[in-house]
Amino acid sequence: MQFEFTDDQLELRDTARKLLESACPPALVRAVYDGDGAARAAELWTTLVGLDWPALGLPEEHGGIGFGFVEVAILVEELGRATAPTPFLATITQLAPIVREAGSSFRLADIAAGTCTGTLALAEGGAWRADAVETTARPAGDGFVLDGLKSHVVDGATADEVAVVARLAGTSGDDGLGVFVVPGAGPSGASGGVTAIPTAVLDPTLPVATMSLEGVEVGGDRVLVAPGDPRAALVIERGLQEATTAMALATVAASRAVFEMTLQYAKDREQFGRPIGSFQALKHRLADLYLSVERASSLAYFATLTIAEDDPRRAVASAMAKAAAGECQRLVTRDGLQLHGGVGFTWEHDLHFLLKRAKSGDLLFGTAATHRAHLARLLGLEPAA
Amino acid sequence: VKLRFDDSVEEFRREFVAWLTDHRPDPEEMAADPSVSTGHAPEWARRWTRTMFDAGWLVPGWPPERGGRNAGPIETLVYMEELAKAHVPRTTNVQGLGIVVPSIFDYGTEDQIRDYAMPILRGEATACLGMSEPGAGSDLAALSTRAVLEGDDWVVNGQKVWTSGANYADFCFLFCRTDPDVPKHKGISILLVPMGTPGITVRPLPEIVHPDHPDLNEVFLDDVRVPAANLVGTLNDGWAMANGSLAHERGMVWVGGVMGLEESLGRLLEEAPTLLDRLPATERALAVDQIVQVAIDTQAARCLGYRGFAKLAAGGSAPEQALMKLYASEARQRVALVAAEIQGADALELGTVALDGHLAIDEPQGTWLEQYFISFANTISAGASEIQRNIIAERVLGLPRG
Repeated sequence: MQFEFTDDQLELRDTARKLLESACPPALVRAVYDGDGAARAAELWTTLVGLDWPALGLPEEHGGIGFGFVEVAILVEELGRATAPTPFLATITQLAPIVREAGSSFRLADIAAGTCTGTLALAEGGAWRADAVETTARPAGDGFVLDGLKSHVVDGATADEVAVVARLAGTSGDDGLGVFVVPGAGPSGASGGVTAIPTAVLDPTLPVATMSLEGVEVGGDRVLVAPGDPRAALVIERGLQEATTAMALATVAASRAVFEMTLQYAKDREQFGRPIGSFQALKHRLADLYLSVERASSLAYFATLTIAEDDPRRAVASAMAKAAAGECQRLVTRDGLQLHGGVGFTWEHDLHFLLKRAKSGDLLFGTAATHRAHLARLLGLEPAA
Repeated sequence: VKLRFDDSVEEFRREFVAWLTDHRPDPEEMAADPSVSTGHAPEWARRWTRTMFDAGWLVPGWPPERGGRNAGPIETLVYMEELAKAHVPRTTNVQGLGIVVPSIFDYGTEDQIRDYAMPILRGEATACLGMSEPGAGSDLAALSTRAVLEGDDWVVNGQKVWTSGANYADFCFLFCRTDPDVPKHKGISILLVPMGTPGITVRPLPEIVHPDHPDLNEVFLDDVRVPAANLVGTLNDGWAMANGSLAHERGMVWVGGVMGLEESLGRLLEEAPTLLDRLPATERALAVDQIVQVAIDTQAARCLGYRGFAKLAAGGSAPEQALMKLYASEARQRVALVAAEIQGADALELGTVALDGHLAIDEPQGTWLEQYFISFANTISAGASEIQRNIIAERVLGLPRG
């Protein structure tokens, strides 16, 4: 394993970080929290589109720039660090991967051009597993009719295109699964049988919605993987691995930012006539936070590489990355808030944007415990059937 | 970033593996005459060191006259991985080859290189490292073993403790106080002291596991006369050299720690089906989660090590390096404990497994519970975990000293 980023990759990170410092300052995030940031968030997305961010990781034949998942990962981290309210994560790491895994080019050119946003509607009842899907796909004409209820769809109320995982009635497990794309609910919140009900969430920069599908007609051109196609489970699994790894990267990035802010506070804040960071009780906690961030970060990069190079370890690596990211945010969120004392407990301080983003990142796409349970299966620790 | 090494590195790996397969020490001979202390080099170990030295495989990064082949750091990493995979120790005299020899090359005279460093490289001698004292453990600079120049000799009086391998080593790389009237960091010097010198008494300290094969010792120095020419480097500059010496140790020592961790995890995963099948469902689920957590720890240790290493190899600084000793040693402790607890009361049974030739090497030895207790050697020695956290906080994170 050669774990150093190339000079070009390091430059991409620097450029992205500087750009977001000016294009996505805490004031913009605060406006979103205060409910009047929509225009500024849209302006931010326009800026990123102008800089070809959505095109970066997409293949050239679909209007992309042709970089790989490593470069996408760098942008995901920087967006997570800035708690940026953009459609990048859902569009580029949830919709685009499953389209590509299905061997389709569905609207990839529009995604690259920034004229189409999207998301993935997989989870039902908070479980991001294909075998938990109950939404049905009923054959009709050259297409299908979808019925069901999807939970925790990131950007579900605003996405232009929604990839939906559904199954033939009466099937279970990996059987009968299919993947479809339906147009989003639109500005009115309901269209063509698709209804999006935005959830009022703690972190408005990573909005989620419940999506109800009632008699949604899907034409043949919108079927990514037809139900019953033996590839379906694998396509879903691989798309999920990419989305999960991206969520892990974003979570670790937010956690790292919490850690850095807390470290600075421990150096600046004086009590008993000296910086609180000079007390050993705090030093040891900060050393442990740093270790936790580096541990999670290393695993997130490993998972990134397994996806970029399509290595067979990607299933294990993405689950480990998400588990470690969750374990990291758990420690960093707790100690970051605790060590900031009262000031970090206030709405006026920017810390809570990061705390909430880190927490959201753990709770979406399966918590640390969910992924450890998944790893138990992958490592062969489940009881013999 | 990429998952695989360059072709040239893989070619280097193939060349070493082929050589290792042909020249490795005989496992039966190793088991029949195991190394029982880090100062102890049985006959097979001496021959093995010499064979590697002659072939340029002992310290691949060094030039041929020092037992190497001018290999780069990535090649050296691959070399260490392959040795560990083959369960072949690079040396039984870890401190000698890893710390004492490079320090003599860095700071010693030509005569000292000839008389002390080269014999270790040729498998003719072993060395121990005389650092800790009863009153100077984590606070090493507080050491009080005194050396006074009388004519052409240093006369040394004092006591060392936790001296690994002193019961077999041929000489000691001894830290002593040569100026008591200056701040503690400024009055320390290093002497090369043959262990056969009159006035040296070594008392082995049997350890809590395998008490019949002690590696740790107390070393009493009573009017020990050492030629003035045995002073290493600059008088009273020992503290700076100590930091240099330990840097040698920390550079790539993580590889052994990580490989040991992977070996432990591999054994646990192998035993897991049998151990888990005895447990009722709820207890099994709890146990499985513990195993998964140490599996994540293990993969993370390797990734963290590679990441820091990549930065170092590229010529940068790598704060991850400071984390590795702490992380790998504590992770190792967790694996052993998780395994022992899943075994339940069966974990109490004393080990009956014969030594496989390298007791002194960083490989899991004995039962899980024995491994758990042994693992404290790594969380206590060479800078206890608590000191590591201070170092990380102060030197890496830049927090003010308390």
